Amino acid sequence: MRRLTLPALAVLAVALPFALSAAQLTTATFVVIAAIGATGLNVLTGFAGQISLGHAAFLGVGAYTGAVLGADHGVDALLWIPAAGVAAGLLGALLGPIALRLRGLYLAIVTLGLVFIAQHVFFNATGLTGGPQGRAFPAVQFGSFDFSPGKVLRLGAATIDSSGLYYFLALILLAAATAFTWNLRRSRSGRAMVALRERETAAAVMGVDVGRLKVTAFVVSSFLAGISGALYGSYLSFAQPGQWSLLMSIQFIAAIIVGGLGTTAGPLLGCAVVFALPSLLKELPFLPEAGSGGLSASDLTSISYGVLIVAFLTLQPRGIVGIADRLHRSGGNDDHAKTQKVTVTTPKEAHS
Amino acid sequence: MTEFLQLLFQGVSLGATYALVALGFVVIFRSSGVINFAQGAMLLAGAYTISWLATDVGVPFLPAVLMAVALLALAGAAFQHSVLRRVSGEPTFVLVMITIGAGIAVTALIEALFGADQRLLGDPWGSSSFGVGDVTINWVKLWGIGVTVAALAAYFAFDKYSRWGLAMQATAEDEEATLSLGVPVSRVHLVTWALAGALAVLGGLFLAGFPNSPQPTLGDAALRAFPAIVLGGLRSPTGAVVGGLVIGETEVMTSGYAPAALGDNFYAVAPYIAMILILLVRPYGLFGRAPAERL
Amino acid sequence: MLEVRDLTLRFGAITAFEDVSFEVAEGELLAVIGPNGAGKSSLFNVLSRVYQPQSGSVLLAGKDLLARRPRDLAACGVARSFQNLGLVAELTCLDNVLIGRDHLMRCGALRCGLGLARGEEREHREAALRALATVGARDLAERVVGTLPYGDRKRVELARCVAMEPKLMLLDEPVAGMASEERSAMTDLVRRLNRDEGLTILLVEHDMGMVMRVAERVLVLDFGRPIATGTPAEVQGDERVIRAYLGEELAVGA
Repeated sequence: MRRLTLPALAVLAVALPFALSAAQLTTATFVVIAAIGATGLNVLTGFAGQISLGHAAFLGVGAYTGAVLGADHGVDALLWIPAAGVAAGLLGALLGPIALRLRGLYLAIVTLGLVFIAQHVFFNATGLTGGPQGRAFPAVQFGSFDFSPGKVLRLGAATIDSSGLYYFLALILLAAATAFTWNLRRSRSGRAMVALRERETAAAVMGVDVGRLKVTAFVVSSFLAGISGALYGSYLSFAQPGQWSLLMSIQFIAAIIVGGLGTTAGPLLGCAVVFALPSLLKELPFLPEAGSGGLSASDLTSISYGVLIVAFLTLQPRGIVGIADRLHRSGGNDDHAKTQKVTVTTPKEAHS
Repeated sequence: MTEFLQLLFQGVSLGATYALVALGFVVIFRSSGVINFAQGAMLLAGAYTISWLATDVGVPFLPAVLMAVALLALAGAAFQHSVLRRVSGEPTFVLVMITIGAGIAVTALIEALFGADQRLLGDPWGSSSFGVGDVTINWVKLWGIGVTVAALAAYFAFDKYSRWGLAMQATAEDEEATLSLGVPVSRVHLVTWALAGALAVLGGLFLAGFPNSPQPTLGDAALRAFPAIVLGGLRSPTGAVVGGLVIGETEVMTSGYAPAALGDNFYAVAPYIAMILILLVRPYGLFGRAPAERL
Repeated sequence: MLEVRDLTLRFGAITAFEDVSFEVAEGELLAVIGPNGAGKSSLFNVLSRVYQPQSGSVLLAGKDLLARRPRDLAACGVARSFQNLGLVAELTCLDNVLIGRDHLMRCGALRCGLGLARGEEREHREAALRALATVGARDLAERVVGTLPYGDRKRVELARCVAMEPKLMLLDEPVAGMASEERSAMTDLVRRLNRDEGLTILLVEHDMGMVMRVAERVLVLDFGRPIATGTPAEVQGDERVIRAYLGEELAVGA
């Protein structure tokens, strides 16, 4: 049954833009773009077990790299998209010496510091980021073809607008990222990361180069975050430094937890919940207009993130994938679920 | 020179507040191994509760503080009982994320209930001050230092001489063994969180004092206590105090002396930079030790 | 192969062990025994470089082992089994054994992620399966460790050590917690690894029966101090050893 879901999902993903309204497509595009970044964080936190509150910083670095290269220097997107990843990845590598020596909470708080330091730099590097006023981000441009609003692509009977173009580009990159991390998980690196997560000291004694592995996990995670950030900025077309905040980092953490830590489908599923939530909540009838006092949509969103994180970790640490698994299994073999002493992990046999 | 002394005093005052926050954190960590990222949110809740009781409900200040302490102690204990107890065996990561999640929810709830504007704290000191030479000593800051010292002394005495202190340490070491000795472990946890709640109220009170006021951005300020916690080494009450003072002074001194080239509001990130630099040399903070591993 | 001289470890005021000296020749199996709290696990933790001793020296094949960090052990040819089992419950037995092969693998994350490391992966899978076969657990390869009983897990742990292709194996209480049939099987296995495969083994154990059957020499620790060394038979009859294990009164009759 698992083998059927992947092609089915692929078909669904490709057909989706044609079934959604413009506003819904916008949300879906944001979700897919975010999922690229979440896939990276899933490697760092889901596979390797390193807590990072700094993800937003890497997204920001990627975004501004893309902006500076793409808009200020007229570089083609074919270059600035990967460059954004590389720039963010380099920052992740710089974190290396620090990550090497620190464990758990100490590392988490350093990454917390990273978010604030990065934001501080973004707010002050006015030439690159536009300072507190923000700056414009370039539309994706491949040669003479660009994704700016108003542009359409006709493929046979189908018409794809600017949003759709971003959607498909992000989808392709997400698929590539997912394939990469899927391979990673089933390879030497993936096993070593799980050993690092579960038994760090024992893993070192067993011969796993724990230090290098941590750096690797940070680099993979930040590379993907950089690409995600660059696409995000480009799609938004305008952003200011306040957006690359602790809240954004937490959104990504919430996404991978809700989706299912360490799972393959988790990042996308989690992002669907977390990043679609604000739009969904805005639709709720009983909420007052923003700014009129009382419970606003943004407050409710934040509260929901918090509650979601707590609820999932307390009740279903394997996230949505875990819930799906349970439903799938509730007709059949329950012994397996009982004897597994695992908590926030992925079962070997789930090809999800 | 005057400016230096002024800043020095303010640094001690801020440091004392951070020390209170850090201590609340250490209390929980020492007795249950839980890393409470919600400490900042608890601080915020403490400040707002006092503000609400004192200004909206009209309760006199001291009773308001006491009531806030009681309420927050209750909230902390309730959180421990309903959520944390269920997940006590999970890896560190899970516990950290749960407290992060709770922290976000609480912060947002406060903003939802009270709005984003500044409020009056309702404290009796306001901006009143006296002069020592050219240095202005604000009463609220002085009281902050005093209360911190008293709270610390009380905690040290409690930890060292009371049965509860011993029980808390034993629970942290080995909960099962402690339980088997007949120690009411669940009660120990409740006391721990109640204590942390009380410390959060006190910390919030002074953090929200002049020239600040209760407002949602206080949460970010409270987060700066984390470098203090890390510097102190997570388990050491003394470390919490030293860490708090170091970070408080760093923040205040940089706000006064940082060159413009480092950007506006550099003082907000200075604590984190200081922390990272120190951690590079001492990976477990100034007072921490590498945890004993059981292979 | 392994030369330990005057090794002392203290934790503050408590001495874990003091002035421990012994040698393990190549291909030999030396067992370290002693009552609980005698310092045996701490000794292993020093040899695993997790603890730093206060004084003494450890030479592995003539080179200073104390200068090494835990992550260098595998490259030095040392494989250690863990009392708490170094296994990851959510992974299969094969994956766990493959973690032991990690230090022999070359592919970096980039090649792994791009799927370019299949050849190397296959080669190491074969080796891991061979290691599992050596301990008689070949058929457990695809089973998730978390679903297995304790005895099987210990065998997989041993397979992981074997897969590391070590020169020296440190076995930390390999039969602890096992039922008697499993104990026999494990004892035979350890014996085979030493006698037939020629592996040098340093063993810490409580079970005297097991020790008698596999060890060529035995070192007895009590309260952190070495009290006797010799062949199993010599040590079994040694008055000091009996006193340490059973107390004063019973020693009188020996």
